[in-house]
Amino acid sequence: MKIASKLCVSVLLSAGLATGAAADAVMAKKGMEADMVLLPKFLGILVFDQANTGAQEAHAELENPGELLFVGPTPENSVAGQIEIVTTAATQSRDAVMISNNSGDQIVPAAQAAKDAGAKVVTWDSPIPSGEAEDVFVAQVDFASIGEVMAEMAHSILDGEGQMAVLSATPDAANQNAWIAAMQTALEAEKYAGVELVDIVYGDDQSEKSYDRALALVDKYPDLGVIMAPTTVGIQAAAKAMQDEGLCDEVAVSGLGLPSEMLSYTLNGCAEEFALWSFVDLGYLTYYTAYLMATGQISGEIGESFVAGRMGEYTIEKDPTRENGNRVLMGPFTVYNMDNIEAAAAE
Amino acid sequence: MNRWSLADLSPQALRLLALLAVLVLVILFFGTQIERYYSARMFNRVSTSVAIMALIATGQALVVLTRNIDLSVGSIVGFTAYAVGGVVTRYPDLNPMFAIGAAVLAGAGFGAFNGLFVAYARIPAIIVTLGTLALFRTFLVEYSDAKSIITADLPEWILALPRTNLFSIGNLDIRLTFAVAVVVVVAVHLAVTRLRIGRKFYAVGSNPEAAVVAGINSRRIIFLAFVACGALSGLAGFMFLSRFGNITVVAGLGFELKSVAAVVVGGINIFGGSGTVIGAMIGAVLVGLLDASLVRLPYMSEFWREAILGFLILAAVAIDSVLMRRLFSWRQSRKERLQAQAPFESDGRGG
Amino acid sequence: MSKYFGMTEALKDFSLDIHPGEIHAVVGENGAGKSTMIKIMTGVYQCSSGEMLVHGERVLFHGTGDAQARGIAAIYQEPMVFPDLDVAENIFLSHRGLGPFVNWRRTYADARKLIARLGVTLEEDRNANGLTLAEQQTVEIARALSLDVKVLIMDEPTSSLSAHEVEKLMGIARTLRAEGVAIIFISHRLEEVFQIADRVTVLRDGRLISTRPIGDVTADGLISEMVGRDAGEFFARSERKKRDKLALDVRDLTLDGVFSSVSFNVNEGEVLCFAGLVGARRTDVALSIFGVRPADSGEIAVGSEIVRIRSPQDAMKLGIAYVSEDRRKLGLAMTMPVVANATLATLRKYMSKIGLLNRGREIEMALRYRRRLNIRTPDVDREVGDLSGGNQQKVMLAKWLDAEPRILIFDEPTRGIDVGAKAEVHSIINGLAESGVAIIVISSDLPEVLALADRIVVMREGQQMGVFDGETATQESIIRLATGQSSNEVAA
Repeated sequence: MKIASKLCVSVLLSAGLATGAAADAVMAKKGMEADMVLLPKFLGILVFDQANTGAQEAHAELENPGELLFVGPTPENSVAGQIEIVTTAATQSRDAVMISNNSGDQIVPAAQAAKDAGAKVVTWDSPIPSGEAEDVFVAQVDFASIGEVMAEMAHSILDGEGQMAVLSATPDAANQNAWIAAMQTALEAEKYAGVELVDIVYGDDQSEKSYDRALALVDKYPDLGVIMAPTTVGIQAAAKAMQDEGLCDEVAVSGLGLPSEMLSYTLNGCAEEFALWSFVDLGYLTYYTAYLMATGQISGEIGESFVAGRMGEYTIEKDPTRENGNRVLMGPFTVYNMDNIEAAAAE
Repeated sequence: MNRWSLADLSPQALRLLALLAVLVLVILFFGTQIERYYSARMFNRVSTSVAIMALIATGQALVVLTRNIDLSVGSIVGFTAYAVGGVVTRYPDLNPMFAIGAAVLAGAGFGAFNGLFVAYARIPAIIVTLGTLALFRTFLVEYSDAKSIITADLPEWILALPRTNLFSIGNLDIRLTFAVAVVVVVAVHLAVTRLRIGRKFYAVGSNPEAAVVAGINSRRIIFLAFVACGALSGLAGFMFLSRFGNITVVAGLGFELKSVAAVVVGGINIFGGSGTVIGAMIGAVLVGLLDASLVRLPYMSEFWREAILGFLILAAVAIDSVLMRRLFSWRQSRKERLQAQAPFESDGRGG
Repeated sequence: MSKYFGMTEALKDFSLDIHPGEIHAVVGENGAGKSTMIKIMTGVYQCSSGEMLVHGERVLFHGTGDAQARGIAAIYQEPMVFPDLDVAENIFLSHRGLGPFVNWRRTYADARKLIARLGVTLEEDRNANGLTLAEQQTVEIARALSLDVKVLIMDEPTSSLSAHEVEKLMGIARTLRAEGVAIIFISHRLEEVFQIADRVTVLRDGRLISTRPIGDVTADGLISEMVGRDAGEFFARSERKKRDKLALDVRDLTLDGVFSSVSFNVNEGEVLCFAGLVGARRTDVALSIFGVRPADSGEIAVGSEIVRIRSPQDAMKLGIAYVSEDRRKLGLAMTMPVVANATLATLRKYMSKIGLLNRGREIEMALRYRRRLNIRTPDVDREVGDLSGGNQQKVMLAKWLDAEPRILIFDEPTRGIDVGAKAEVHSIINGLAESGVAIIVISSDLPEVLALADRIVVMREGQQMGVFDGETATQESIIRLATGQSSNEVAA
């Protein structure tokens, strides 16, 4: 991880708050009080904890005298649990709620209640699809570019010609759906004419279900060349299934995965190439965005710029992947393969 | 002895026969819909994936027989898979038998927790295990500290388990895990039918008060049913770990309903007291087969599959019960005809 | 006028006609086909051939709703009321066509009217779980009346009632008859049949034997038609030689709030009967001796040794067995086969050396008892719930006889079973006593008590009222004591 550097000059540039001209990025004023809630899809998944690590780092850095709570539902209760936690946050008058939304638009009434109670609603990792009751979405990477990278990885694994299937998380996970849509758009390009997307299946981010779905794909499409899994659980389960059934030579696995979890599969050739971004950074940036909004230093208008500590300058823009809604784009991400995975896994 | 006839079979055997007939129907139907359905590969897919559910369904069957239900099995599977995974990650040189024993013991411990509340505190099982469903899962979330068990960290022998082939019949592979599941199910079946305590399971489920009057310690029996169910879920948790390798906190989510479905499809009375463990195993195979077949149907939409699976499970239960009733009344009329021919005093067996 | 022709396996070429304003008794042994007949009339079963006419019109019932719509309803031995609802709610429970809303005021007013019509007193807003069996039956009859019943079937309505309650029920039946309701009255108690019926039909083995006006038949004639042989000496006392060896001695047994200071003893080979009305707490005494609900104070001695019985297991170890009156609740595991029920209390006997159950020996045992007790079941793998009541009773008996008890408690051993089976049970009891078993019989059937007992303990509302000698006691003296009409005169 990089180490935070220049942060001492914040007071100088605190003039142009609300209007936020694109030219002068807002420097965060430290030590303002805001009670924050960081809400993952559910508890107990490594990437969400990494996001929490990043958020805690920013919390300490900004010397916020308020609280940062990391609360989430249990896995079997994700949708209802998220709604409940957001509702509670509203009644406790928190200043900002940061949601990795797993509830589709069902979260809107609860989020609206939180907004009405004065909280800023910042989504991260997975947005509210309609953009309603959301102040801003902190996107890990540009969704269109995720689509392109997945198309490109498939293309290179298949040598330009062959069948691909997608193993996703849940059918209503907004982020995965957006990435898959982006990939389908990318595949329309001339370059990818030889890559055929034959099926999209869902493993619900459960190892057992993803594993079975991966095997079903192989049986259903005898000529399948690659399984693309844009979820860290799915990619791993698919790789294990191929490895257990001795199919790694025929069907490659790719998608989005954590280097530490994928190391052995990359080394033995079951998953030669995959991509991911840093969830620590995502948590860090999300916290900065939410803190600045909750303390009134930025308002969330399109075109506002701010400096997010060690990560540098970001600008709020219209989210091009949704009809409504604004975003802060983090990006970029790393493609992992034989050459760099061992170093990344050791981190 | 007269020549053998279907009517000589016991009601339980007829029940199994009806179930097997439904199984054959399902196989014949999907054989016409899915290419390469009758293949060694398909057999292998179903047998390996059913191995885990068969163990859980067996445990569930014991509990349901006593007129109870265990909704916490999925959480027990998840916890034991994770905990044992954590232990072998840290101590890769651990004796395999010790790891398996630990999984079984941990599961039995959770089962005992359920059993204490149901049998001795007399809280209805559905309430207790709904509570522990969430409770054990929360233990897991806390215990895991949001770290996953990663395949790469597991010792080679665990990873080799699901790939190990015990023997092959033609090109049908009998994997070790499937064989273990079958052996365990058969052993439990024999215990339930041939041991004194097994009979007591049925008696307690059929009529708890009459069982007490017959001198049976029904609380102890119910407690033991939960312990056994926990232990079998623990063993299933170990097999889950070896098959999927990557264990997150959602491991085993939803297994409770699948196991209840398998048990009910398998002909075990949800109000206790009747049914067989082998039936539950066939039920697990049937549900697993339906699931595996549906995901391979070329025209099946992902969004409809769960609904259709539910519908097919209902249909299987309905066909099974209609078939069974037919067989029963046919058998009864046959017996009555035989009896009308023979003098009443004869036992109908020897004479 | 209604007419029924039925034909199923349990009922062959059966026909019966019932007129409005008639009480028509149907008698027959257990398994004679009475239950099947009721189930066809009420639409539970469909007959496989034949037809049924109501007011000259051919009808086909597809369910109980169809039968109710035609004004046919039944009440049973064990009334079906919903314990958490009150009387009025129970009466109007299954009403159709009243719209989605309940008019509570009208409901209660109508309930009050219906109960008044029956000539009884019963508060319409009482919760059903506090009602006695007789009161529950009244609720059921009122429910049938509210549906404008034309044909009321009463299936063994008196078998759980005290003499006084039976009288009341008879009164209700006569009231209904006067209103033009046709009543089918099914009972094992012939004296009741003679008291109330206009005509009587005898069923045996699913066939119609006879239908005659009550004036043309005698009790002995009915019995011989029912069993297919001469009545003989069903209720004759058998002589037993007296033994002096004490088997069970109970002193001052008390369960707070239920019964108090019950003291009695039984010798080996002796039959001690407990007489009393329903609610006399005789069953509670038995359950407490058997360890189901141990007493709070008092002493129990088996042989000459004072023992502590905390559970049925303890009691069984001491050689005590208890044959329950409530087959459904305390007796049998209905979903289990006959054979598994029969061996349930004595499984230890059927284990091989390595601890496995020996199915062959279990079946051999079940077949032996099937012969000895004349249990009618085509095979011993049949679920016991499929058997008729009397045969279920015998399976339960087999279970406890197999334990070879030294002290055997029978709780209402012949309730709801037919005359033939009753005689069989009595001869089994006599045989056991002769072989030296100490026997306690709880029975509300006074002729039975007088026929069986060496001594009789009379209880009333948890109090022991007195002890009679079996030879000298009379029905009148017992009833006087049981109803509290005389003081504690101890005759023996």
